[in-house]
Amino acid sequence: MIIQAKDIKKSYGNKRNRTEVLKGIDLTIEAGEFVTIMGASGSGKTTLLNVLSSIDNVTSGHVYIEDQDITQLKEKKLADFRKKDLGFVFQEYNLLNTLTVKENILLPLSIRETKKAEAEKQFKLVSEELDIYNLKKKYPSEISGGQKQRTSAARAFIHQPKIIFADEPTGALDSKAASSLLSKMKQLNKKINSTILMVTHDATAASYSKRVVFLKDGLIYSTLIKGERTQESFYKEIMNTQSVIGGVSVEF
Amino acid sequence: MSFNTVILKNFFKNLKNYALYMFALVFSVVLYFSFVLMSQDDSAVEEIQSSQLMSTGFTVGSVLLVVIILAFVMFANSLFLKRRNRELALFQLIGLTHGEILRILVLENAVIYFSSLVFGIAFGFLTSRTLLMILLRLMQVELSVGLNFSVQAVIQTAILFVGIFTLLMIQNFIFLKRTRLISMLTLDQSSEADYSGMGIGTMILGLLGLIMISSGYWLSMNIIEFGSVLLLVLFGILFLTIVGTYLTFKASVAFVLNMIRKSKQGCVSVNDVLSLTSIMFKMKSNAFLLSLVSIISAISMGLISFSYISHYSVESLIESTVSHDYTFYEEEDMQFYSHLLDDSEIEHRPLVIPTISYVARGDGIISGNGDDDSEISLNIVSEEFVDDTEVDEGELVIHGLSTVVGVYMDFDLNRSITLYNDDYEVTLELVETNEDAALPSFVARGRLQAVVSSEVYSRLEENAIHDKEQAEPHEAFVIDIVGEDSQEIFQLMNGENNPLFESRIEQYTNQIQGAGILMFVIGFVGLAFLMTTGCILYFKQIGESEDEKDTYKVLRKLGFSVNEIVKGLTLKVAITFGIPLIIGLLHTYFAVNAGWFIFGNEMWIPMLTVMGAYIVLYSTFGLVSILYYKKTVRDSL
Repeated sequence: MIIQAKDIKKSYGNKRNRTEVLKGIDLTIEAGEFVTIMGASGSGKTTLLNVLSSIDNVTSGHVYIEDQDITQLKEKKLADFRKKDLGFVFQEYNLLNTLTVKENILLPLSIRETKKAEAEKQFKLVSEELDIYNLKKKYPSEISGGQKQRTSAARAFIHQPKIIFADEPTGALDSKAASSLLSKMKQLNKKINSTILMVTHDATAASYSKRVVFLKDGLIYSTLIKGERTQESFYKEIMNTQSVIGGVSVEF
Repeated sequence: MSFNTVILKNFFKNLKNYALYMFALVFSVVLYFSFVLMSQDDSAVEEIQSSQLMSTGFTVGSVLLVVIILAFVMFANSLFLKRRNRELALFQLIGLTHGEILRILVLENAVIYFSSLVFGIAFGFLTSRTLLMILLRLMQVELSVGLNFSVQAVIQTAILFVGIFTLLMIQNFIFLKRTRLISMLTLDQSSEADYSGMGIGTMILGLLGLIMISSGYWLSMNIIEFGSVLLLVLFGILFLTIVGTYLTFKASVAFVLNMIRKSKQGCVSVNDVLSLTSIMFKMKSNAFLLSLVSIISAISMGLISFSYISHYSVESLIESTVSHDYTFYEEEDMQFYSHLLDDSEIEHRPLVIPTISYVARGDGIISGNGDDDSEISLNIVSEEFVDDTEVDEGELVIHGLSTVVGVYMDFDLNRSITLYNDDYEVTLELVETNEDAALPSFVARGRLQAVVSSEVYSRLEENAIHDKEQAEPHEAFVIDIVGEDSQEIFQLMNGENNPLFESRIEQYTNQIQGAGILMFVIGFVGLAFLMTTGCILYFKQIGESEDEKDTYKVLRKLGFSVNEIVKGLTLKVAITFGIPLIIGLLHTYFAVNAGWFIFGNEMWIPMLTVMGAYIVLYSTFGLVSILYYKKTVRDSL
């Protein structure tokens, strides 16, 4: 058990005008799992990801990562924890325009002063896996959206973090680029045994994962487990659940 | 590649984006350094008689400068931090602590700071030469400006900026500590203030703001009537105009713009999208900044106007208080100097002017409080002792009526004035009033002088009652130099053991130097105010153009040309820059109008000159903003 969330509540706004986004969520994620959080807009999925990944703080409740309560950690410990154990892929690419693709990807290794040869090895491994090795000398302004997204993903994987948080990683991609990124993520999940927690509203993307958690109005609505099924049948079940939550029937 | 090289590379690649910040810094250094350098210029200090005043003026000026610079640099820094939000957030995401990020910021800022300091000192050295020439010109001192470089000024500047640097780092640290990571990641999307609608509250506040400003103006127009509670009224005016200005920006402007928008009933043109709506949203959140800009503009324009008025009026002010080239307290002194001048073969005219005092009443006198039968005490002088004044029998000319006295007292020409005492009275016709004094001030003792024909004077003299108890001087001992008086003559007479005397040329020199320094220091600080407010508005526009980039993109995709969009933006810039300027100009006008007579005797020419110069410089910033917008729009697609 790598992540354990206990009764997480999160609300925004002031005393008079308060919106409760998360109304008490309990969630456990095992090491090496690939979990997707789904839900309609406003259901609180991104907020849940932010809270679990230490970017945002909770209003009440606890988040344990490897039995350490990160809601109680000091800033310095938290930074250390992000440095060693976490990787992020965002919907916006969050790349530094002033650095090349390679420099961007190597940032997490730079700050921990990894040996050059080791860094080079890791870079080659990850970038070839994500098909961006040949772009290493280019600047972000010179490459396409999908390539930026993959650069961003490579940066999240390079230091082999225990957990990778991905917020709509395929949001800006066409379906081909999206599926190639997702299968790469799945492979990396297997290869380096990272735990992946992804937020998406795209059922195709969700079908790459092992477990899908549906949120509705700040609460967990249901959970689907892929098990031994094929990706296709898993996809269908996700679609069905989605239409039940959204109240919209989907015709096939 | 180590992390430090990454940071350095990132920094140097980003240098273009830091240009603005560097400009702010270089500008501040230039401002401060040239000012300090000038105040330490020995050659100038030696030459100037009023060097004590000069150093005091410079000290006060430099304190004000430090305050302005500090506020300005901190503002620039906070904008700069906001623009780098995502970068800082990313560093935190990959696991840097606040301490490490602060170290990066310190490193970067140190590079920026050090280079700005060097550039600024070099520029400041060049500027200070020019400024010193302007100062000496204003003080009417003939002195060639040399090239003095002062190490002490460098050290003083360096110490100040190291101090500011420390403050900035504290500011950065507080920013990092207080901003949640999540809000840094999303900060640049949430810059639009929430729009709370145009309620009845806004309308009332808007009206209140306008009412407060107008009542402040009304009070300032009638300030003379409140002589007894003057201080209270002054503070009242300040309070009304400052709070009124704030409310105007907070509510009135948005209210008026909203009315215009409503009247269009949904048919908004591209101009409206870019100017009206954008300003409406931003005016409220920028209310504080914009009212600051208008108040600061008003303060600097007002103060510069006042100092220019006093500089402008020195000559005529001297004329109205000092009647002759040299004035003496005793007849022997006058003779002593007359011999001295004879020895040096300087042509001159010694004079003994007799005078008597009479009480005057009559239709010709109008006192400030509108009282018709008011009486004033006059010093009577015979026409033969006053140059350029022709008085016939039965006529009278008033002398020494300066602008300040004129505020409290006025005269009706061609009406009668009766001079009288217990035994005798004579009624004369007032034919002229004149600003120039006819008697030295220590003889006149603040009274106005009445010049009459010699026949009338001798009759008045015969009937005068000499009050033994009041030992007033009855004669003035003066010398007029034939031709122009000069510093050489003054120095000749101003021997160490010679008797005391008063000299017009000395008083003039002192006053023109004093007024010159005052005007220079105020002008300099005012210029600093102007530049900083201009820069702040400009920075603000840059920030807004970044925020609105998507709007331009959409508009251009819809088929609007660059010029059409820029036209709308020009309107926006005109409104954002123009409204504070107009309010500032109005404030200035009413402030100067209320108090100008204390400083001199000419209001319009100095005030309009100052306003004109201010408008030109201020508009430059607006123009530069428009050019920046144009570039952003062109690059948006």
